[in-house]
Amino acid sequence: MLTYLARTILKMLVTFFVIVTLVFFATRLSGSPIDFVIGEGITQEDRALLTSYYGLDQSTWVQYRAFLASFADGQFGLSFVERRPVAEIVGERIWPSLQLLLSSVVLTLALSLPLGILGAVYRKSWIGSAVMVIAFVGYAVPNFVLATLMILIFSYWLNWLPVVGNGTPWHFIMPTITMSGILIAGLTRFTRNAMLDVLGQDYMRTARAKGLSEQTVIFKHGLRNASITILSVIGLQIAGLAAAGSVVVEAIFAWPGIGDLLVRSAIVRDYPVLQFGVIAVSVAVLFINAAVDIAYAYADPRIRLGRA
Amino acid sequence: MKRLLATTAIATLFAMPALAVEITVGASNIAPYLDPGRDHSNVGSQFYYNSFDTLIAKNLDSDKTEWLPGLAVSWELVEPTVMELKLREGVKFHNGEDLTADDVVFSLNRMYQATFPPYQVRARDRLENFAKAEKIDDHTVRIHAKREEPLWETLLNLQQVMIIPEEYTKALAGDPKVAEDDDYEAFSLKPVGTGPYKIATFSPGEQVVYERFDDFWGDKAPLDRVTVKRMPETASRITALKTGEADIITNVAPDQLSLIDGDANLKTVGAATALFHVMIMNVNHPKLKDPRIRQAMSLAIDRDTLNEALWLGKAIVPASHTMQEFGELHMPELTTFEYNPERAKELLKEAGYDGFEITFDTDAVYYTNGLLAAQAIMEMWAEVGIKGKVQVGEKWTGNSPELMARNWSNPMYFADPFGSFGVMWAPNGPSESEGRFNTDEAYAKAWERFRFSKDVAERRAAYGELMERIQADPPVLPLYRPFESWAMRKDINWAPKPGNIPYVLDFRAGSISFASN
Repeated sequence: MLTYLARTILKMLVTFFVIVTLVFFATRLSGSPIDFVIGEGITQEDRALLTSYYGLDQSTWVQYRAFLASFADGQFGLSFVERRPVAEIVGERIWPSLQLLLSSVVLTLALSLPLGILGAVYRKSWIGSAVMVIAFVGYAVPNFVLATLMILIFSYWLNWLPVVGNGTPWHFIMPTITMSGILIAGLTRFTRNAMLDVLGQDYMRTARAKGLSEQTVIFKHGLRNASITILSVIGLQIAGLAAAGSVVVEAIFAWPGIGDLLVRSAIVRDYPVLQFGVIAVSVAVLFINAAVDIAYAYADPRIRLGRA
Repeated sequence: MKRLLATTAIATLFAMPALAVEITVGASNIAPYLDPGRDHSNVGSQFYYNSFDTLIAKNLDSDKTEWLPGLAVSWELVEPTVMELKLREGVKFHNGEDLTADDVVFSLNRMYQATFPPYQVRARDRLENFAKAEKIDDHTVRIHAKREEPLWETLLNLQQVMIIPEEYTKALAGDPKVAEDDDYEAFSLKPVGTGPYKIATFSPGEQVVYERFDDFWGDKAPLDRVTVKRMPETASRITALKTGEADIITNVAPDQLSLIDGDANLKTVGAATALFHVMIMNVNHPKLKDPRIRQAMSLAIDRDTLNEALWLGKAIVPASHTMQEFGELHMPELTTFEYNPERAKELLKEAGYDGFEITFDTDAVYYTNGLLAAQAIMEMWAEVGIKGKVQVGEKWTGNSPELMARNWSNPMYFADPFGSFGVMWAPNGPSESEGRFNTDEAYAKAWERFRFSKDVAERRAAYGELMERIQADPPVLPLYRPFESWAMRKDINWAPKPGNIPYVLDFRAGSISFASN
């Protein structure tokens, strides 16, 4: 198990370094932040003056080293636009994003596992078909369409739900559903398939033959075995959600999280914030993946013991 | 008696909202920093007027120029280049400090003698003629210009020379006795002024919360609290207005107006912004060196059709680089720019245009309707035989030698052609320095008379000459003044004031009120 942990961590570190480097160079491809920090109409001399004030006149290599060095003090440099530590700016936004992520994961699990199991167990009845229809429709509707539709119905027409910010529990409803929509659809289908696989196995027949109750058969023998496959998918999906879903959802609902910050700093080319924002999300993804790896190993002794 | 009581009770009820009023504004963008000195962005301009004062104020209810006492109660020239101003007594900053001549001298000199690069840049195009400010006594200051200045009041009414507190600012970082770059950086996150609202909370890029400043020297603020929140998505912003999460929203697209006006509880107000969306052309591009080609590019564009199609006819298409707000310098009689496709065809023929491709750069979303206008312009060019191609990109290409044409905007930073055309097209200004515009001695001479002559007729004549030069060898075509709209609850009386610069969210006394039903 220790070797397995060490391997996981080393893999994370290497990935992290690659990401950090990629992010540094990718952000610099989009143009100069000076255009946005200052606005329209400055002379070339003034542009040079500001470029040097923001340290952008230094060679890329010097900037890259300064960027790596900025990790050391935990501040991750200063925002070009706000001129305060990047760690502070991103820090303010981690909790709102996490809250939204957590509520989405809870909703996803609460809906898709039971739906998936129902779909598998009642695959031949209308219940199973209904589950499949929900899953397909959910998968096909992009989250921004879902968000706009919900806003139109529940806010614009019915005036039931607030649309901007994260002030009250009511504010969570639409963003959470938007975030989890595709995930619920995907995971329901996956749970159903994983369960179907397991249900056809010999040991299930054995379990039934032993006279175990149908409930025990499905949950103890069925779900436990299906969970290995489900777990790996959940990890990937949540990671994807943290990275991409939040960008769209947070922008639509003016949710003060990391996704919204990423969009804003990309528009104004606030390199330091953008870099650290992407890195923060990548780290979150790495951690989720690592956590899943470990949970996976825990659930499946073959992996834990390296005999797979 | 009973009836009187009842009436009084009802009147009190209706008066209640006016006693404790809070509103929320949904804005498409919130400034990332708040320092009136370094800022001249459209986003930032929304916020300063509520919290900061200038020495000389302006009657904003009129687009005619009328100067009013601000933090200075009187001013007079004591020498041809020296203005003496008497300061208002009893003015307090939001942090409780009294305003003195030291604060004024500090605020002005941080711009006039700037060492902080963002101030240097901002001062260069409009405050270049000011040498320094000096204290005479606690409530008297003198400002020294380098040359005789015809625009004293205009240039003391700028956002960039709003007054900030000296001691407070210097103490923000490093040595509390010295003004360092970090002090100014810190100020822009914790701004303090003398205006009727103090900035109670500022979350950069997220929200600004104003609270009434009870020690304000003038008419007290009509609202107790104003929260301006970022709501970037148009659909969410409009819905927020409808659900009551916002009372006023900014930046409503033209195609959304009828939706809001159709709602019995909501209304919109709008105005053609004191800003031109323009097309710039690179006079130094090897293929565009012949001015006839650029004249044709300009003459081929039917701006009235663009206005009808993109702005429902609500934008303003100018005949010259001029605006009503310029007051005595407004020159609607000039015809610098027009639509004449036949003439465009002739010019192309004379210039021997061989059908080479002319690129037009635009960002996908930066200017409202920017991309659509670019595409329509390609069609209009095609009508006269110009082969055009839209290049969508995010980079600023105005300083690239490859640039052929692109869109841009030319705001009115202050109400004079110097504050609009002048900022972008001065000799050695941004356009010339970026290498896409040339000036010569004759242009510089006309510029001199336009900028420094004390005779209005002379300034007008000189501006006319500059416009002739622009027409003869065009580097720019103003397309239109875009129509900007705000939407709000029907019982709110608010509209942008005609004397203000674009986008200001003005909630001072007399600027906002509530209908009593």
